[in-house]
Amino acid sequence: MELVINGVYKSFGEKEVLSDVSFKVEGGSAFGLLGRNGAGKTTTIRIIMGVFAADSGEILLGGKPIDRSKVGIGYLPEERGLYPKKTIIDQLTYLSELKGMKRSDAVASVDKWLARLEMSEYRNKRLDTLSKGNQQKIQLVTALAHDPQIVILDEPFSGLDPVNAMLLKDIVREEIGRGKVVIFSSHQMSYIEEFCDSIAIINRGRVALHGDLRDIKRGYARDRLIVRAVNTEKIKSDLGTCCADTDDGSLMIKLNSSEEKHSVMNSLTAKYDIDEIRVYEPTLNDIFVEYAGGSI
Amino acid sequence: MKQFSTILKFELWGYLKNKIFVGITVFLALLIAVIMFFPRITEAISSDNGAVSEENVDTENGGDTSVGAVDSENDRIMLISAEENDVQHLIESAFSEAFTDYDVQLSDKNIDDIKASVTGGEAECAFVFDSLTSYTYYVDNLSMYDSNTEIADTLLENVCRMNAMLEAGIEPDEAASLMSIQIENETVSLGKDQMQNFFYTYIMIFALYMVILLYGQMVATNVATEKSSRAMEVLITSASPTSMMFGKVIASCIAGLLQLIAVFGSAVLFYNLNLSYWSDNMIIASIFDMPISLLGYMLLFFILGFFIYAFMFGAIGSTASKLEDINTSVMPVTLVFIASFIIVMYSMSSGSVDSTLMTVCSFVPFTSPMAMFTRIAMSTVTLWQIITSAVILVASASLIGVIAAKIYRVGVLMYGTSPKPSAIIKAIKNA
Repeated sequence: MELVINGVYKSFGEKEVLSDVSFKVEGGSAFGLLGRNGAGKTTTIRIIMGVFAADSGEILLGGKPIDRSKVGIGYLPEERGLYPKKTIIDQLTYLSELKGMKRSDAVASVDKWLARLEMSEYRNKRLDTLSKGNQQKIQLVTALAHDPQIVILDEPFSGLDPVNAMLLKDIVREEIGRGKVVIFSSHQMSYIEEFCDSIAIINRGRVALHGDLRDIKRGYARDRLIVRAVNTEKIKSDLGTCCADTDDGSLMIKLNSSEEKHSVMNSLTAKYDIDEIRVYEPTLNDIFVEYAGGSI
Repeated sequence: MKQFSTILKFELWGYLKNKIFVGITVFLALLIAVIMFFPRITEAISSDNGAVSEENVDTENGGDTSVGAVDSENDRIMLISAEENDVQHLIESAFSEAFTDYDVQLSDKNIDDIKASVTGGEAECAFVFDSLTSYTYYVDNLSMYDSNTEIADTLLENVCRMNAMLEAGIEPDEAASLMSIQIENETVSLGKDQMQNFFYTYIMIFALYMVILLYGQMVATNVATEKSSRAMEVLITSASPTSMMFGKVIASCIAGLLQLIAVFGSAVLFYNLNLSYWSDNMIIASIFDMPISLLGYMLLFFILGFFIYAFMFGAIGSTASKLEDINTSVMPVTLVFIASFIIVMYSMSSGSVDSTLMTVCSFVPFTSPMAMFTRIAMSTVTLWQIITSAVILVASASLIGVIAAKIYRVGVLMYGTSPKPSAIIKAIKNA
């Protein structure tokens, strides 16, 4: 199963919000949809879910135009919200029924997910009596209880403590393992880097970068070294302007070409007291800043 | 369709489980029970008191008790002052007979002393006569319901006429019989009797007004709450806006109807339980003598009117960014509704339910639920007019429902300041 977003355009009045947005998401893998605030991520997600139609372009699932009446889509919105005054079981069952489940199936599924998220004790409580983190877990049930084929998670880790974040990671891995199409949208790059095999960075309504994350990283020239040593000042004075300090106190050494990395590494370790030396690989954060760093 | 029934059930249960909804319904039913049992209760209490006073009469001196009672009943003193002796005696006897609630006392004080007596509370009111045909009435605070001058005028007219007849040589007996001629008449209403219909039409119009306004505003608040709590973010991706809008409006319509049935049903039940106590009250009897067909018309126009206004309230609710904005946002719709209520009420009280204004209003969708119903209840309306009005209402309600669903679809995704109508129209075109 493959979800393909192909040449999508969308304008609101005079303002073009999406312009030729195209990317594809493989089933059984996680996809990171990145972009600065207002870049067009939520509009893209809403078009995938059919909240509004694209001006042009197509959304294909398994090579055919997506039929949302048959394909379940689970959505965890960035702006969390449910009915504060209603009981957990009532609203979760209601939302699952709206997604096409029978009432008995909806109740069974909601109970299963509440147990999985260690929330069964709150089943008959009102939502507004729960902590923010627990409300977040309830919100997650709305996205997963109807067993959707496509799961869209917008900032899923916000508000979760490390233990609950770990629980959510396990659940997301399970969903990926079951062959589902999982789309992540987050500003927490470490989570995207941990989960996502491929990414798309949207900037000003256009796809600025799209592809397999490892391939993207490999695409960068491997012509820089990261060195952690006792006396970095000595190395800097010996090597001159090709050295620069990094935020964590290491040195970054720019090479003339990637071919000389092994010889330079050998000469440095022989000459200085080196704790760590490795070839620099850009983090997702660096890539994001490079592609989405301009004005939105 | 499944989505619609799921939304309908959820919303309806929301009302039925709401403690305030249940509380108000029970309170209204109890209030009606108290009103309907009131004559039975007062009769029971007065018969108890009667037994006690009879016992007092038996054990104590009956004559003294009755004198005391008369004195305490006539503690309202009316002063009468006239310069001419003839006038004094004539008026004193006539006023004593006519004003049985008062202790009528002849006064020879001057005007200032009489005024002081009235303002000081020694007397409740005073009549100061210049002649039989001219007097000044003094009272401390003039009540809206003070009819003493009207009674006095009629009384004096009769006294003057009697005097004139006696002076013309007519025998006193003959003059008395001339004064007491009774005219018999009988009115046969071939259409509707507005006197009889007025009260139940008034009650039903008022119920229609209250329920549509209250539940319409509830729909607006419900939608705005979903939007402000961001539950909408999930809902809008789960259900079609048309199902959402129709589910909400129909659920609140059913809730409103259930409340009406509970209130009117308890009224009918408790009235029948106390039927014998109400048989003398023509107004109450006329209310419960309502034809069944009128209930059918009320149901029809209530449902259609409810839909039109609730759809508009729902659409407005979806454009409000904050819950606090709701009251100001719904004001234009509320004003249209109140205006139609005032037109109908004015026409009812002035008896002109078939005026040109009412006829036009009974075909305009925003006013026709109340106007046409009033005309049906209080006048004779041809069937084609009723059908035309109903068809216009059905078509308008459907159209407004579809437009409301479109506004809802774009409105719920508009955050920030409340959008202008032009921005909403633009958003609908772009959606």
